[in-house]
Amino acid sequence: MELPFAPGDPFPDLELPDHNGNPRRLVALAAEDPTVLQFFRGWWCPKEQRFFRRMVALQDEAEVGYARFVSVSVDPPAVSAAFRAGLGARWTFLCDADHRAVDDLGLRETTDTLNDPFVPAVFVLAPGLRVHSAYNGYWFWGRPTAAELVADLRAVTRAIRPDWDAPTPPA
Amino acid sequence: MNERCWIAPVDDVPARATAAASLTDSDGAPAGWLAAWMQRAKPVRQALRADPRIVDPAGPAAWISLVLAPPGFALPFDDLAVQQARRDVLARRPARAVSTLLRDSSHFEGAITAADEPVGDDPFARLFPARSLRAGPGLIATATPPVGPTIERYGSANPWPWDRFGPT
Repeated sequence: MELPFAPGDPFPDLELPDHNGNPRRLVALAAEDPTVLQFFRGWWCPKEQRFFRRMVALQDEAEVGYARFVSVSVDPPAVSAAFRAGLGARWTFLCDADHRAVDDLGLRETTDTLNDPFVPAVFVLAPGLRVHSAYNGYWFWGRPTAAELVADLRAVTRAIRPDWDAPTPPA
Repeated sequence: MNERCWIAPVDDVPARATAAASLTDSDGAPAGWLAAWMQRAKPVRQALRADPRIVDPAGPAAWISLVLAPPGFALPFDDLAVQQARRDVLARRPARAVSTLLRDSSHFEGAITAADEPVGDDPFARLFPARSLRAGPGLIATATPPVGPTIERYGSANPWPWDRFGPT
């Protein structure tokens, strides 16, 4: 399948419970920062477990780089909270346990009729939920490397921070 | 934003505070008041800046863990212990509200963590002494949980978890 959102597209706002059951909106989670929005199948998928280790390794840089991560699955909050804690992730997980968003977004993985999960996909969003880059992770190698995510976050940050070129004293 | 949010424990009912709540200790004994002010100038000597989202004059009673540096002590916000405490806050089930407390632009001087039950394990309590107190209604908000993984402060003068750049 081709992802329904491409670079330059607006990404729809989502309102879903987080891993603690609190209602959260994507636009509030992303706010005015570059955001990595990840859709994943579920805790049980070994490819997701491997990819999450990449994300967890990157969070130490994101925590000082003004970038945000949001992960979304069809797992219910209790499962997401346990998975998140086991990973050591410190960002917000959203839970589409009633499978509403997965269809609204057109991101259902139709080849898994047992779990009806999201197709693995990663979007790097600029402020305003504008898609900067999109990665289809149905095949593992379609997912972004850490270097690609860093490059995307650098590009978005450079575009939105007027002081990217460090201010210097006037000559 | 020209106004700042100031928080301070005070002995008596504050006269011109934006919000205030009576305090009792874990045994139920009176422990003064917790007051908040929204203004540019520092209202009382012991006041510390906080994330304004922690204050709600209509907020219900709460248990708070109030961590304050002893007089003359402070830790840089970039100290690894302060960084790790913030990581732990993000990793755990979110409190009803949380804010670090600071006086200048670079030093951690305390934190306030609010919950509906006594706060059992406050990561900030590893840094400085903590008091478990019951705050009456009228001050403590129910704030949106902070968004991770960012622990860097947005503008060095802003108390974490404030999560927007803006005037300080």
